[in-house]
Parts: sequence; structure tokens; C-alpha cells
Amino acid sequence: MEREVLEVDILIVGGGPAGMSAALRLAQLQKAKGGEPLSIAVLEKAREAGAHMMSGAVLDPSTLADLIPNFKEKGAPLAAEVSDEHMYFLTAAARLPLPFIPPPFQNHGNYVISLNKFVTWLGEQVEAEGIDFFSGFPGTEVLYDGDRVVGVRTGDKGIGKHGERKGTFEPGVDIHAKVTIFCDGVRGNLTKTLVSRLKLDDQSEPEQYAVGIKELWEIPEGRIRPGAVIHTLGYPLRPEEFGGSFIYGLPNNQVVVGLVVGLDYKDPLFEPHAAFNRLKQHALVKNLLEGGKMVRYGAKALPEGGWHTSPRVYMDGAMIAGDAGAFVNSMRLKGIHLAMRTGMLAAETAFRGVHEGDTSAARLSEYKRRIDDGPVKKELYPIRSVHQAFELGFVPFMLNAGLTMYTKGILSPLKIHAHPGHERMQVLKRYHGREGDLTTVPAASNATATDKTLAFEKLTDVHYSATAHEEDQPSHLLVQTDVCHTRCGSEYGYPCVRFCPASVYEMVDNGSGGKKLQINAANCVHCKTCDIMDPYQVITWVPPEGGGGPQYNGM
Amino acid sequence: MILVVAEQRGGKLNRASWEAIAAAQQIAAGAPVKVAVLGSGVAGVAEELAAAAVAEVVTVDAPALDTYTPDGYVLALKALVDAQAAQAVVFAHTYQTRDFAPMLAARLRRALVTDITGVKGTGADATFTRPMFQGKLAAEVKPQGPAPHLLSFQIGAFRADAVQKGSLPAAVAASGIAVDAGAIRQKPEAPFQEAKSAVDLGQAERIVAVGRGIKAQENIGVVETLARAFGAEVAASRPICDSGWLPMERQIGSSGQTVAPKLYVAIGISGAIQHVVGMKGARTIVAINKDAEAPIFEVADYGIVGDLFEIAPALAAELAK
Repeated sequence: MEREVLEVDILIVGGGPAGMSAALRLAQLQKAKGGEPLSIAVLEKAREAGAHMMSGAVLDPSTLADLIPNFKEKGAPLAAEVSDEHMYFLTAAARLPLPFIPPPFQNHGNYVISLNKFVTWLGEQVEAEGIDFFSGFPGTEVLYDGDRVVGVRTGDKGIGKHGERKGTFEPGVDIHAKVTIFCDGVRGNLTKTLVSRLKLDDQSEPEQYAVGIKELWEIPEGRIRPGAVIHTLGYPLRPEEFGGSFIYGLPNNQVVVGLVVGLDYKDPLFEPHAAFNRLKQHALVKNLLEGGKMVRYGAKALPEGGWHTSPRVYMDGAMIAGDAGAFVNSMRLKGIHLAMRTGMLAAETAFRGVHEGDTSAARLSEYKRRIDDGPVKKELYPIRSVHQAFELGFVPFMLNAGLTMYTKGILSPLKIHAHPGHERMQVLKRYHGREGDLTTVPAASNATATDKTLAFEKLTDVHYSATAHEEDQPSHLLVQTDVCHTRCGSEYGYPCVRFCPASVYEMVDNGSGGKKLQINAANCVHCKTCDIMDPYQVITWVPPEGGGGPQYNGM
Repeated sequence: MILVVAEQRGGKLNRASWEAIAAAQQIAAGAPVKVAVLGSGVAGVAEELAAAAVAEVVTVDAPALDTYTPDGYVLALKALVDAQAAQAVVFAHTYQTRDFAPMLAARLRRALVTDITGVKGTGADATFTRPMFQGKLAAEVKPQGPAPHLLSFQIGAFRADAVQKGSLPAAVAASGIAVDAGAIRQKPEAPFQEAKSAVDLGQAERIVAVGRGIKAQENIGVVETLARAFGAEVAASRPICDSGWLPMERQIGSSGQTVAPKLYVAIGISGAIQHVVGMKGARTIVAINKDAEAPIFEVADYGIVGDLFEIAPALAAELAK
């Protein structure tokens, strides 16, 4: 097939905080240097900038101040400066305030933001600089010349359900670039293939993940101050489950409520979405939300493993930045500023490399040196083992976290090896003492009744993610195996049905007494949980037709 | 004066036109309303429309309008609107209106508000509610610029039977507008249906919809029998169309069609919000479901908790009596 080829100097894949910051930094470098400008393109799978962006979020503005010093005059949508902070340990019936806020949770000088609004704004800055921003175009394939990355192929459009070409068929475009910066986010579909083909993780520890589930609410006046930040530990999670909640006050009587759950839980019947529902039914949250209205729902995985889990982030012709490179501070619950920082650093190296005519791995390794010599390592190295210690249990985890915190990482194990989260899920027989059976989908062990006012059915929540996909297209969740209906039911009891926060996976009757997997791909909110947590590692998330996905206004 | 543009095809009135008249009567609040109908040989339709309490039914009867073309309609309606000095021109938001109304508005250089679901106030002070972002938001808009403003009303937003009928039939007058066939750039082919089963559920007065409770494709017949007994169209919730048991164009809901029939019978449909947004405008909703907790009962006017395989055939048998 004949494909259009677009030649650019620098290609950025993914228009999140990392990709947008890389693009903006390139525009600045160009301006400062003058002369013939480099050609730069940004690919983004969402229909418009920011549409797939969802986070807590509390922003540490340090990188933003470096990138756009006059960000306030430029109207950066920083919803509220953090005003007051609370931290609680929850039990099912009570809340115990922590006597003090541990330093990593101190947010003075930070801002509560909507990442959706923030990235939409960054996108405006990028477009104002005249950079080509291709929204609605996912990168679906990395293009190589030998082992050198030479660009990315974008997704075909107009392919029907059974792979046939429709009247609207448009083949994807091959974008060739001297340097490609991959900012495709947590469990990025292209970074995943890069890592495996180029063995970028041969020196790294297995990545650890969590999933964040969040709702945006409008609540009666006076319940929470804009900029109020509440974090909780404990209920609805058990000590064996990693995670905690976040509750942030926004202006105009809006509040976000979210729960982060480690994707390394043991109980195959545990359901993150049910835990989120339980959180909202807890008195602390209930008193806040009651009488209010949920306006938006979303879910997104996040990298938790930190420093040692980062893959090699430079190679011939390419670099990896942001969540795709695991640049998240799991202790401070922050990654936006690190995504922005690594995006900027990658842009600087790319710019110089292209001008010098050398974009080899050796030249691009400068990016890694600058990560090591600067604020990124300074922030991530001390907490290198915090998440990994969780595998040893809740108490060792807390002790290690505390020790790390107070010695700034000096008294912390140099490296703890932890298994990939999906390997920690136990089979039913081991965890619940009985095998499952292939004909029934067991209820979640932490199921809670939905009440339609605080706790919603998943499908109702999906509606509020406003996710939409072209209906007539092949499933973008590839499951090529028969373990689903031959083994999974008895071994794990179909955990995909529970870990997916968007009712994508469903086991339906196969007409002969058993079950078969039905993938409701149109419900997908692009969180990547399935690709990460499935115990058999048989689910591959690939981008659907460009433009499909959630619409995370205000998230 | 408010001018309503009714829609007909082959001498058959589109019943959404009544909804447009009801909307116009509400906005007019006593001021005169006129109804226009375009086509070739539309006397019969004009007579039918004359039952409404309106000042006049105006016809634009021209051979060039025999088959709908956007150019033909825009030429005729531009001439008519210029001649009538209306304060507002009202349409039902049908596929045909969607096709020509933007061009008409551009030709007239007048504001167009589409897909209106509600009206506040009357006359020149009226503001209109319309959905935005796939129905996620409802915006209140007030058209700007000189009159007449063009208004198209979502199907089902007003009730056809809310039309005030006149004690005497309204006068029918020919507009005398001629349409030059040479000025029409489109040459329509004979209409065809994409698939034999293609159906415009938006037009159906009664719909029997089936959901996952039907369990297997071979059971769809149960629902089809009931639909025939009601004289209704068959529709479905998403899982049924996903499984290929019924064609996609019969899917109701956020990823299918939005309908507002007089009667909607939901059989074995749990009532997830994705389905409900597509049918909650139905006048009377009857739900049959074995799960008494199913959310469909929250929107249903009549609910039957029980086995659809017993109830649906019994209903069909009763209707056949």
C-alpha cells in the first residue's frame, strides 16, 4: 500500500505534559537560535489537546516556572493554590487524623489543577508557536532502520469491524524524523514495543503500576475550600492493598474525589471500582458529596515503581519522556512536573543533536546524563525503593517509607527487587481456598451496593467519562488466546471483569453452558489497566481509530 | 407572525410537523402562526394541516419541488420568507431540515438555532435550549441579528397532540412562488434504502425494544411477534446489536438513535444510562424485566416484573383479540 510520508526533524509522540513541554521548549530554542527553523510535529490520539488528560492533580509549579516564567500572565489554569492540608487514616467507621502531615505530602506553594484544562492550555501555547499539532492521530507502529528509530506510523482510519476497508478508509501516514521523542504516557503502546525490541529494560527493575479512579463533583456551597487537599490511607483498602485516596477542593463548589489502587493486589476477586464506591460511602466523603452531583468520571493507570524501573530512555534516533519513562514521584503523588522536566530535557538534547547532525544513542545519552545531574534524579533517587518495599508487607513498607523520608533516602535499601504487579495476583485456590468454575463470574470480594447517588454502576460511570469511539472498527484490545474460557474462570475467576474500571470486559454465556469473553471496546477510557494487570499477560492495548476515547473536561 | 415549514414526502405529512406547529403556537402566545408546505401536489397535505388553529396554510406547489432537493427548497423558502415578513421560521429538526436549513440561513443571512429542546419566554424575548457536546450540556441561546430567526425543534421535544386545533379549518392559500427547475443543481436519483431493513426509528409511533434478557438470537421472534401485535418497530439495546442479532440501525441509546415514540416497550432491558438517554423522551414507557431492581423501572410508566418469555406472548395474544 502506498503511504504518504512526512519528513520532519523532530517528532513528538503524545501531547500530554511531557510532549507539550518538549514542543514548547523546542520552539523557544528555535527562537533563541534564529535561522532556518527545524520542522517539528506532535502526534496526539485524542480528538483535541487535553481530551484524554486526567490526573489528581496537585501541580508542583517548579518546572512550569522554568518553561514559562510568566505563566500567570499567560493565564495558566491553576485552579487554586493549596490552602490547607489534611491527612487521615480511615477505618470503615472512623477517620483518624495523622498528627502531622508527612513532608512528602506537604503541598504548600503547589496548585490544585485540572490536568485536562492545564494541557489544553499548554496546547494553545504550542499551537501559538506554530508547531504542527496533529490531534486525532495515534502512533501505532515504530518505524526502524535496523535498530535505529526513524519515525512512527499513524493509525489507519476507516477500517471496519472485521478489518475491511470502508468508504472512509485513509491509510496512516509514515512520519520520518531525525529524532522521535516518545511521550506516550503510562504503559505507552509504542514505548512498550520499543522496550521489548531494543531491550531497554535489561538493566531495570520491573515497572510497578497503580490505577487512579476519580470523579469530579459539584457540591453544595461551603463544604470544602478551594485548594483544600485531603489524602487518606487505609479503608477502603486493606493493608495488603497499596494505595489511598485524594480529595481536592476546586473553585465554584467543585471537588475531585479519587482513589489510587496499586496494580499489585493479591486477591483476584478484588475490584478497584468497588473500592472507590466504598470510599464515597465512607462518612468522610459522604458528608462532602451528599446532595451534590457527579459530573465527570475517569480512570488512568500511573507508574509507581520509580527510579530503578525506568527503562533506558535514549536510543538511536529516539528518547522517552514523562510517564512512559516512569518519571513519577510516587511518594509525593506527583509526576506532571517531572513529565514536563524530562520533556524539556529531551527537547534540548534533540535540538542540539539535530543541529550537529548526530542523533545516535551516544549523542542522545546526554539526555540521561542531564536527568542524573539535575532535579529529576535528585527527587526520584532517594525514594527509589519505597513502592517496592510494599511487596514485603504493609509494616515494612511504612517503616521503609518513614526511614526514607526522614533520612532523605540515605537509610533506604539501594534496590529492592519486586515482582511485576500482575504476578502478585494469587489464584483463587490459594487466596480463597477454592477453585472457581468456568460457568460463573464471581462477585467482587469487596462489592458494595450501588445507590445511584454516591456509588454508581460502572456503566453509569462510563457514561460520565463521555468516552466515544467509532463503532464500526476492530477491537483495539487484542486478546488472542483461549485461556479466558478454558482456564481463567477456575484459576482467577475472570479478574478482567473486575479490574477494568469501564466495563470493557464481560464474560457472557457461550450458548453451551460455558462463558466467552466479550470485549465492549467502545467503553474503553484508555487507562491501560488491562494491559498491565491481566495475570496471563494476554491483553494488548493498541490505539483505536484516532479521536476515539474519553472526553475528560475538567478532570 | 410565525411561519412553520411543514414537511411532506409523496403527499404524506411528516408527523414531526405537528410538533413544530405546537412549538410555534407556544412561542407565538396568541400571535398569528402560518404553516407552509412545499412540494408538488400538496393540496391534500395542506387540507390536513388546516386542522390546526393557524391563520393560514400557504402552499408552494411547483413541479420542480416534486422530489426534494436542497437547492429547490432553499430557492422556494427564500422567496417565501422574503414575502411573508415572519418574526420566526420554525422547522422540525428532521434529516431534511438538517440538509437545507444551514444553506437557507446563510442565503437569508439570518440566525439559525438547531435541535431545540425547550423554549423560555415568548415572541421576540424567547430563549431556546439546545443540547451541546452530545447532550452533555444544555445551552440556552438567544438568536441575534434581524428577524426572522430560523428555529428547528428536536423531534419529541414538543408533543404533536399539543397542537391547538381550530374550530374551523384554516384558509389554504397558494403562494404563487415559482421555482426555476434550471436553478437546481442537484439531480436526485430514485431514493433507495441502504439495506432492506433500514428504518428511521425517529418516525415510529410505537417501538418494542429488546435487550440482553432475550438471551439468544433465536428468541428475537418473541419480540417481533409482540411488535407486530402493537404495529410497532423493533429496536434494541446495544448488546443485541453488538452481537449482530439485530442490525446496528435499530440500536437505541447514546451510540445509536434517540427516539421519542408515543409508546416504548422495553423488554429485557436493564436500563443503563447509555440506553435511557436514547428513549427517555418516549411518552409512555412500559418495561418488562425479571429484575425488580433494574433501573429501567425508574423511567417506566408501567412496569411488569417477570419472565419476558411468559409476558410478551401473553401480551401479544391479548392484543390480537
